[in-house]
Amino acid sequence: MNGDFLALLPRPVHVPSGVSRDRHAVDLEATTVFAFHCADGVMVAGDHRATAGNVVFSDRTEKILELDAHSLLAIAGSPAVAFEMARTLQTTFEFYRRSQLQSMSLAAKMRALSRLLRDNLPGTLQGFGLVAPVFAGVEPATGQPAIFFYDPMGAQFEAAAFAGSGSGSGSIKSVLHFLEQWGPKPASLSLGPAVSLANRLLMTAAEFDTATGGVDPGRGEFATIKLLHAGGIRTITAEEQTQFWKETKP
Amino acid sequence: MTDEPYRWLEAVANRREYIRDQLKGATPVFAFSRPEGVLLCGVGTGQSKVFEVYDRQGLAALGHPVDIEKVRQTLIEAAHLEGFTRAPEDVNVRRLLSFSLSPALKTSFEQIFAAPLIVESILAEVGATQAEDNLARISYDGSFRLETRGVLVAHTVSEDETAATDWLRRELRPEHSLAQVAHLALGAWGSLANGKPFAPPAAATTADGPIAVADRVVELALLQRRSPRRAAYLPVDPASLS
Repeated sequence: MNGDFLALLPRPVHVPSGVSRDRHAVDLEATTVFAFHCADGVMVAGDHRATAGNVVFSDRTEKILELDAHSLLAIAGSPAVAFEMARTLQTTFEFYRRSQLQSMSLAAKMRALSRLLRDNLPGTLQGFGLVAPVFAGVEPATGQPAIFFYDPMGAQFEAAAFAGSGSGSGSIKSVLHFLEQWGPKPASLSLGPAVSLANRLLMTAAEFDTATGGVDPGRGEFATIKLLHAGGIRTITAEEQTQFWKETKP
Repeated sequence: MTDEPYRWLEAVANRREYIRDQLKGATPVFAFSRPEGVLLCGVGTGQSKVFEVYDRQGLAALGHPVDIEKVRQTLIEAAHLEGFTRAPEDVNVRRLLSFSLSPALKTSFEQIFAAPLIVESILAEVGATQAEDNLARISYDGSFRLETRGVLVAHTVSEDETAATDWLRRELRPEHSLAQVAHLALGAWGSLANGKPFAPPAAATTADGPIAVADRVVELALLQRRSPRRAAYLPVDPASLS
């Protein structure tokens, strides 16, 4: 009755063991997800593409997952492990909230994710189960949203302005760094311009990374974008993104 | 002692008597299937009687607070394990009762050398339509019945419970607001809580006015039929309905 859902499970759920890496195995690791502070909270976005080597596996993948009413996980890495981690965290947070009659603190949520990443160490070391997510959550006491990024072994770091993960995130982080240094700072952008910036960033990443895709405003294909703020999570629909895209057209 | 059937039966009968005696003074809880969802209602002195169990399930219970807590934890653990192992859609009242809570209550009741669980409860589940709502009345010995007529009362005296349930069914109208439903529930609560045989409240109980009971805490929760989130449970501030 300590609110730990994982204690109810008969064995750790994320530990592949006794498997050596097949050098011909196909990786499913490429993706692009990121988060940055904007005027209305934290914007978390991701593309829709999942790849297997040089094969486009899917262009309709949802990588920004709501863990509960006040936290988001942007997954990058092995989809099988990442989706299972997200599902485990969703259940863990809700189980704690219902059984303990209070929400889990932001620090405890971050550590829960760290624990899953650490439990996944064998998969990470064997090279086929690597997960490097971006986590965004609201601290209940202050109502302030925050961004955290992780290394594959579970170390967590808070991002002052932005964080990104996946094969296309290098380009995006470069642009966000440029904007942070020479403006306009993303943190000053209202919702519409921030949403359009997120789509432009993903289109920029797609120029240099074949594993990033599924975003093409000209064809009505937009990113998955969610806004995290003190009141909770708002999903920016494709219709809203279309409107913002038109309004912010240069 | 228990190797003698007669003495075992006597011991079980004594337990029933003990539990009923312990439950004296506890006040009823209610569940109503409404167009907006399932409304749960309880009145207490600070200890909660209405709880969230899972995405579409809620619990209303009366009895010893520690035993209510055991029942609540049993349900929450079973529901989350089922939802995680299979899918949230696979969690339902019938399976939670048949394979988890009911056997646990029965075992507890029949282990005559251990203290029994002193709890009477209602487990409710909101469906896509009112016809798909599930309400279940669970007794301290693990027996339960599923209710399809939209109103359930859990009380310590079965005759009064039946009378109050029948009265509520007669009084409730499909067009009643949640506030009017809550007023009716509090009317029935007042009649049941006085310790006398149930008598329909004299005053018009669906009148406007504060949803409150002097020196008590009124707890309301709605399992929303249309919820923006997966979790349908919404605690309702009685003042917001008044």
